[in-house]
Amino acid sequence: MLTYVPDDTLAHRLDPRSKLAVQLGFAAAALTHTGPRAILVLSALAIGMLAAAGVSPIRAVIAARYALVILSLAPLLAALTLGPPWIETDAGLTTALASYRVLLVLLVSTAAVRSTRVRDSRAAIQRTIPGRPGHLLGIGVALLFRFLPVLRADIQTIRDAMAARLGAQRHAHERAGTIALLGLSRAFDRADRLSLALRARCFAWNPTLPPLSFSRLDIPALLLATTLLCSTLLTTIPL
Amino acid sequence: METDQREVELVGDAAVHRFARAALLAALLGAVAPVAIPLPFSPAPITLQVLFVFLAGLVLGPVWSAFSMVLYLIAGAVGVPVFAGFNAGLGVLFGQSGGYLWSYPFAAALIGLFVHRGTDVRDPANVSLPVVVTALVAATTLIYGMGSAYMSLILELNAWEAVTAGALPFIPGEIVKIAAAIAIVRSGRLSPTRVR
Repeated sequence: MLTYVPDDTLAHRLDPRSKLAVQLGFAAAALTHTGPRAILVLSALAIGMLAAAGVSPIRAVIAARYALVILSLAPLLAALTLGPPWIETDAGLTTALASYRVLLVLLVSTAAVRSTRVRDSRAAIQRTIPGRPGHLLGIGVALLFRFLPVLRADIQTIRDAMAARLGAQRHAHERAGTIALLGLSRAFDRADRLSLALRARCFAWNPTLPPLSFSRLDIPALLLATTLLCSTLLTTIPL
Repeated sequence: METDQREVELVGDAAVHRFARAALLAALLGAVAPVAIPLPFSPAPITLQVLFVFLAGLVLGPVWSAFSMVLYLIAGAVGVPVFAGFNAGLGVLFGQSGGYLWSYPFAAALIGLFVHRGTDVRDPANVSLPVVVTALVAATTLIYGMGSAYMSLILELNAWEAVTAGALPFIPGEIVKIAAAIAIVRSGRLSPTRVR
């Protein structure tokens, strides 16, 4: 698991909105440029971005290990065919390159995750998405971050209690149903207390946000994001 | 520092209540991401996330369930570790399993629309069983349809290969989840005012 780590790297000093733009640009470019030269450029960019956030590529790959199963199975599945010639190397190779590009997208996002505080991302969401939806999403992200460990502990308590009562020997649908219903009822009890607390503290549509500002460092990041997005548009839209 | 002199505009009581529930349901979706129940004769264990997508639609209605799912996706995108394997980041939404994640708001809203027939939330126990089953099956089809289609697009697989990797292994688990969701609805413990 890779989460925010306080540091003073280049990526840490960037505005969260520029990091968001760079990730979007990179994802769009990685999913549209399929040539070998593009893959080299994208790999170099990804390594550069990991270095800018102080993440070692190996740690980033370990963080993405859950995705690796399907990413490594997909080329095999694409290569296998029912009937002669049984193995189509070209199809397998195309999918292997596609898997590799997806892995690069995952690595770049770990760089952003490691270098961005959730508090700053929340402010970025609230400033980027206008009006009430942005406000609710911003506060929602903050609440989700706060309640995630609490609800994880709730779920663990429920599972321990089930295990103590030989719950592991019950049918899968009963186990799933019990965890779901008890988890939901505990979460909603918490939600009802939370909503009372929010109302008691004058939960408003127009609170004061933490300050965010673009600095000179953000200019190259935004330029990179624009270049990547433009390169995608030029490839996808026939001129 | 400049002073903001606008009046405080309070959020209405009903909206605060629904918002708090939607936010905690999104957190719950992240909290159950590591839970896996093994299933005999199936390579894929049951994960509970899709069950909570069902419950979101059933208990929050179309609007707030979709909001809750969007919140889950945004929180994951900005770095809260809520995706499978404690992962986070915008890259996951564009990665090989992004299609499943993008489908959650639509699937939850679809169930909400089928079961509640509008934005007013009613007790799902009073809805006829065929309607609930149709809603759950339609939502599952939507999730796996979008998931496999996106996977085939992104990994350059053909449709059959994408379905083999992205949908077939999960069918037994999905049947179990639909059964669990129906049992929860029939138990009558999912009323809009209180879940017991």
